[in-house]
Amino acid sequence: MRQSKLISSPRRKPSGAGKARKRVRVTKTGARQFSVTPQLEPGAPSDLELMKAIQSENPEALAQLYDRYNGILKALILRVIHNEAEADDLLQEIFMEIWNQAKNFSSQKGKPLGWMVTLARRRAIDGLRKKQAYARAEERLQNETEQQPDAWVHNSTEEEIVLSDTRSLIRNVISGLPPAQQQAIDLAFFRGMSQREIAAKTNTPLGTVKTRLELGLKKIYDGLKELRGEL
Amino acid sequence: MNFKEFQNQSRLYVIGALEAEELEEFEKARKKFGQKAEDYIGECYGLHEAFALSLRPAKSSAAIKDRLMSMVRARKEP
Repeated sequence: MRQSKLISSPRRKPSGAGKARKRVRVTKTGARQFSVTPQLEPGAPSDLELMKAIQSENPEALAQLYDRYNGILKALILRVIHNEAEADDLLQEIFMEIWNQAKNFSSQKGKPLGWMVTLARRRAIDGLRKKQAYARAEERLQNETEQQPDAWVHNSTEEEIVLSDTRSLIRNVISGLPPAQQQAIDLAFFRGMSQREIAAKTNTPLGTVKTRLELGLKKIYDGLKELRGEL
Repeated sequence: MNFKEFQNQSRLYVIGALEAEELEEFEKARKKFGQKAEDYIGECYGLHEAFALSLRPAKSSAAIKDRLMSMVRARKEP
């Protein structure tokens, strides 16, 4: 393990909010896993190298992984629980879990970012369900939905125009979906709702919800594959 | 369930949107299609990354990292 490289990686920029200007790289690995990942600067350790170092209990590798992905994971947590302080606490717990569970990570089953996102999403949704605050979050979601029916599409502020390449490309794929499909996927992915729950919440027949999810996910999946082909 | 239907269900599966009765059928098909099924499911997990990367990164306090690293180093000490 090249721990010295991991510890002294001066060219790696921290990926704090709004700082990341990463280029997108859409890859297909030998295990037929396609993935959209931020491109690292030359010389920076890969996510997999960092995970291997964490498995060898190198704290500096965790610090680097934190710098790289805390912004993305916190955004994901916030999208689920809508509370800044709780999101910070959960973020810390999730990185602690990454440290503790690193030995269970296998590159055969997927990429480190996918593993971390899955873990963070599960923890955030569990947290949401356990808490009495679920009802309040529902109310907030309702308000947000009324104010902004398409949760993925934001007003075009100057900041939005300067989106990172990765987000911009992925958002283009997602924003190409009809709003009803976006909403169904949003409720399923970010709220952990079942098809029946989505049907009840949106007052939509179950079959329609299923169709929206299937069509929407297929379009996103195909769109990401196309991105891979173009880059 | 044919493989195309399995692919549709896989995308729902990775985001946890399958209903219990669908999950049972899905697991049967997963066994039937074997490694081909596992490869496809692995591929679908790319959707997780994509959804996360579609969000604008959120800022977190520097204290979080400090606390995290203190805990990790404390745990690592014999």
